[in-house]
Amino acid sequence: MSAHVTHPAVSGMGPGVNPLVPVPFTLLRKRRETHDTWTLTLQAPEGYPFAFLPGQFNMLYIFGVGEVPISISGDPAQPLPVVHTVRAVGSVTRAMTALTPGAVVGVRGPFGRGWPLDVAKGHDVVIVAGGIGLAPLRPAVYAILRHRDDFGRVVLLYGARTPGDMLFRRELERWRGRFDIDVLVTVDRGDEDWRGHVGVVTTLFRQAERLFDPSQAIALICGPEIMMRFTVREFQNRDVPDERIYISMERNMKCAVGFCGHCQFGPEFICKDGPVFTYAQIGPFFETREV
Amino acid sequence: MPEKVQEIQDILAEHPFTHDLPEPEREKLARVAQLKTFAADEFLLREGRVSEMFYLIVAGRASVELYVPERGVLRLQTLGPGDAVGWSWMLPPYRANFDIRTLDTTEVIAFDAAQLRRMFDQDAYLGYQVARRLLAVVAERVRATRLQLLDMYAPPGGGQ
Repeated sequence: MSAHVTHPAVSGMGPGVNPLVPVPFTLLRKRRETHDTWTLTLQAPEGYPFAFLPGQFNMLYIFGVGEVPISISGDPAQPLPVVHTVRAVGSVTRAMTALTPGAVVGVRGPFGRGWPLDVAKGHDVVIVAGGIGLAPLRPAVYAILRHRDDFGRVVLLYGARTPGDMLFRRELERWRGRFDIDVLVTVDRGDEDWRGHVGVVTTLFRQAERLFDPSQAIALICGPEIMMRFTVREFQNRDVPDERIYISMERNMKCAVGFCGHCQFGPEFICKDGPVFTYAQIGPFFETREV
Repeated sequence: MPEKVQEIQDILAEHPFTHDLPEPEREKLARVAQLKTFAADEFLLREGRVSEMFYLIVAGRASVELYVPERGVLRLQTLGPGDAVGWSWMLPPYRANFDIRTLDTTEVIAFDAAQLRRMFDQDAYLGYQVARRLLAVVAERVRATRLQLLDMYAPPGGGQ
């Protein structure tokens, strides 16, 4: 497998859609996931063509406030209404999560290269998510479970800050109840009521390493960069080659089509060359302080 | 070789802590070990008390925890199959710094700590092999603890 594995950078925008002009979507419903994270369901204008691949993102515009890149967290088989899970961490995302149904959100997208599910066919797939990083991976889980026979063993490792910070709890429970996916969950801080695992997500590897074959497994990782760095090392320690380790990068994206350079990361633009990269592609820059 | 010793030796051959130990060394350890089963919510170690035993978890789970007045029990880490429990037994004054409590029915290989130390005083090679592995456990736990301290999932500064 070459260092630059081809994986999807397909635009799901309809023909004639200008990628730089936001399209007004309507907030259909919002669901609280945690104390600071909401899942928003956005309705497209009648007849608007839209499709996306797991791992892609949209630019969401709160008029008068600003625009931010947000991964799509819904099911790619049901692309509309489009689902985003948003953590309120800044002025735009705070305004976004304060919207009420009926509000208008500008949407551009989808953009970027998603998770390499075609490449992963026939392989064991190990998905490692930290915090809000489960949101961009959820479409991949949906797609894998929908075409379950195409893949080997599937393992999901999820780490959150506390039990109250876990996303998609009911869904995680459903997945845990299935026999065709192994789901291991941990929190960094437990309390007396929490009977699950406590420790950073990398501490799940001792248990997980018996569940997949490193010689052919593909790793999909999304979370804070520091979590991804240490997770990459766990895979490297088990001889999973960098070409089979995929990470989703986050940077300050503006145009989302590779014009403005805001999200340049070494020789790559996160918006159009990523956000999903193999570690072989960006590993040298990943641990460079100046990048 | 007694049947029980052979059974423990077979488990040690699979256990991550000892699987790469030379067979004669595994046999020496097996001869001073016992297989024990604890019910859920039993303490393997108590904070401040002398650690009289060293455990290798074979099945089940245990929690490293600390009781903090007015905050209750804080669970710091979960240990599971393949993990070693504690290193305070190796270092004077041999007192545990945290409670270790079982979360499920937990099967362990249990070693008498004082007996192990006497063995290591006589058999430096065996002592070195075990100490190396304990150091790896300490290093792994320190790494995990540092990541926990980073609070990786805290809201980023300057978010959008």
